[in-house]
Amino acid sequence: MSPVSQTRSPLDWVKTAISRYWGVVGVLIAWQAWVTITGVNSIVIPHPINVVGDLVFNPGVYLANAGQTLFLAAAGLILGMALGTMVAIVAWSSRILSGILVPLGLIFSSVPVVALIPVLARLLGYDVKTVLGIVIIISFFPAFVFTAAGLKSLPPGSSDLFKVFGASRWTRFVHLVLPSAVPNWMIALRLSAPPAVLSAMLAEFLMGKSGLGFLFRQSATEFATERAFGTSVIATVISVLCFTSAVAAEKFINEKWK
Amino acid sequence: MNAPLSSAPATAPEAWAINVDHVGKTFTLDGGKELKAIDDVDIKIGQGEFVALLGPSGCGKSTILRLVAALEDVSTGRVTVEGSNPTALSRAHRLGVAFQDHALLPWLTIRDNIALPYKVAGRPVDDKRIAELLALVGLSGFEKARPRQLSGGMRQRVSIARALVLKPDVLLLDEPFGALDAVTRRHMNVELQRIWSEQRITTLLVTHSVEEALFLADRVIVMSGRPGRIIKEIQVPFARPRSPDVQRTMEFHHLADELTLALEPEGHH
Amino acid sequence: MKMTAERWQSLTLGIVGIALFLAAWEAIGVNRLAGLTWPPLSAVFQFMFDPTKAQLFIRAMEASFSMVILGYVTGSVVGIALAGLVHVLPVVRPGMDRLASVIHAIPAIALAPLFIVLISREFTGMAIAALNVFFILYVSTTSGLNNSTAGHRDLFQVLGSSRTTRLLRLDLPAALPAVVSGMKYSVPAAFIGAILGEWFGSSRGLGLLMVSAMQNFQIPLLWSAVFIASTASLIVFGLMGLLEQFVYGRYK
Ligand SMILES: Nc1ncnc2c1ncn2[C@@H]1O[C@H](COP(=O)(O)OP(=O)(O)OP(=O)(O)O)[C@@H](O)[C@H]1O
Ligand SMILES: [Mg+2]
Repeated sequence: MSPVSQTRSPLDWVKTAISRYWGVVGVLIAWQAWVTITGVNSIVIPHPINVVGDLVFNPGVYLANAGQTLFLAAAGLILGMALGTMVAIVAWSSRILSGILVPLGLIFSSVPVVALIPVLARLLGYDVKTVLGIVIIISFFPAFVFTAAGLKSLPPGSSDLFKVFGASRWTRFVHLVLPSAVPNWMIALRLSAPPAVLSAMLAEFLMGKSGLGFLFRQSATEFATERAFGTSVIATVISVLCFTSAVAAEKFINEKWK
Repeated sequence: MNAPLSSAPATAPEAWAINVDHVGKTFTLDGGKELKAIDDVDIKIGQGEFVALLGPSGCGKSTILRLVAALEDVSTGRVTVEGSNPTALSRAHRLGVAFQDHALLPWLTIRDNIALPYKVAGRPVDDKRIAELLALVGLSGFEKARPRQLSGGMRQRVSIARALVLKPDVLLLDEPFGALDAVTRRHMNVELQRIWSEQRITTLLVTHSVEEALFLADRVIVMSGRPGRIIKEIQVPFARPRSPDVQRTMEFHHLADELTLALEPEGHH
Repeated sequence: MKMTAERWQSLTLGIVGIALFLAAWEAIGVNRLAGLTWPPLSAVFQFMFDPTKAQLFIRAMEASFSMVILGYVTGSVVGIALAGLVHVLPVVRPGMDRLASVIHAIPAIALAPLFIVLISREFTGMAIAALNVFFILYVSTTSGLNNSTAGHRDLFQVLGSSRTTRLLRLDLPAALPAVVSGMKYSVPAAFIGAILGEWFGSSRGLGLLMVSAMQNFQIPLLWSAVFIASTASLIVFGLMGLLEQFVYGRYK
């Protein structure tokens, strides 16, 4: 990007920055101030500076575990979305199937799915593959529900148009039905991204032997609070990254689609 | 009745109830393009005068009404109502407006919609007045209904009752009978004339019906389109109170023809 | 007439779907298709309604549901109040929006250590539930408060309305459908928050039951706890759905 344009003085930049980030910065300052003033034991709650220190001096530990969590979350998200989309398409092809599957999908997507993790862990066994399976299942339902709804919400009148053209069912599907489901599919992606990261971490926390969730559990039991908070920071960064890229992807696609 | 003519010699601005003084309005569209909606429009309305505004769709009639209601700012010229800035009137809860799209609140009953001006003004609700107005617009018995249960024409009548409920000093009506059938419309015209004769509220009415304008107004102003300009103005000679029979006189037909001709697009004269 | 026929059909299909699901659950369990860790539905029910277990479940439910309710109410009140505040004071809105979305993006697991220190293990679930609910209600209320139409805003200006009168008589009622939708969608989020909180070392609740049952191979107990939590969430979700329908009918 080109540097400051003519109309924007550095003062304007400061103003925008303050108006956007006063909340986030305020919370951080309050944290540091609270720790300094009350002088809580640093085993209970670490100073932000020490957390940063642990992050900077032990990048290896964090990177390896974060890499695994990120990979599991991303792979699970993609596979779950793909599976959800496929089932939605199968359901679309038959009125009876969709009548049976869509209500079930709605029920499961409004259940606290994360509560299913212990059951799934027991069913599939304590394993990295189980973590992946859990993320797939949790990403499956939003993808299924939103795609199924999207496949039905055709632009008004377009269906008649394709009939007038004498289009085959297949042409209709490829050129009309599938494209009109794309915006909904992007909503599902955006909604599923943070839960994918969260459920990967929770699964690791409950039964894993590696990954951020495990690192978190280990440091908590060893009272390594700096490590625990460092893990929180990395987890937040990953989650924010996933969420913002999903939002960006949704924006990009929606602009193309209009 | 001495309704001032716009051609009358200029007096102090306070003498006019509504003074649209050589006003132009330009809208900036989304792409940055400018659209001149009205240009050099000059309308002076005296105290207690009833003026009707005729013109093709999109010529800026609603825009003029919105300027008088202080919902838009002028680009050039000046608007004063009762000698001061138009916002003063609405702040004092002395303005009655019936919008083109009726703007009823869907979560309130008909009775509560009509009572809304009282609530906003912080005054006690006068249920007798509401019942009276409901009877007037032919909706007695619909107090508890909700807007969605009413037809478009019924909703418009509710919005007229709401505009009148506080006995405003200035009344602005934007195609208030647009959605009515011919019979109900004629009936509503007679009723509106009756209420108006009782209170002599300064009124600016936007309409597409030449007959309605002639039957109701003291003066009819005709506009042309893009940008909106005033092209004709006639004084309506019929004495008040007017009976519907007035519409069958020769004079009425002549005036109606004259206005209809003025409304034809240029080149067809 | 045709409309109702279609409705009946989809209702029937929906019920058939749920029945098939429950039957499949039972069949897989009975025939051990998924191993010993998948109990038949009937076994889960038998375990759940076993009088000797009643005390256990009731205590766990009391603990978890009180955290759900506390978190749900706190989150709703704070979310709606802050949305109202940024509506009246638009200068603070961009900063508040950012803060809300950053908080939303932080995985609950990352906030747990902070809450455990700040407000004890027992209330961590409530705090996570409150945060989840807060975000959903903040977003839905801020967008709802802008739902009034231009025509209605004009009306209030013409009537000479003050800002507060407009807020009370126009903006808030117009926001109600969005707020109620938000309250519906935050029901599962509140349950998730409370259960997660209990995983991080609470000494009571359905979440604790789930984790300990998982670790100790108490399969019927594990499934019962998950079933109770899910069903409770679904029931409240359904009730909120009814409320939502009523509000949409009246306020839109
Ligand atoms: N807020 C606005 N932004 C941009 N353009 C506007 C706006 N309001 C009105 N216009 C334009 O100004 C012109 C006049 O509009 P106006 O609504 O006053 O017409 P009108 O005479 O009331 O028409 P009708 O009889 O159809 O109601 C139109 O071309 C319209 O597109
Ligand atoms: Mg108009």
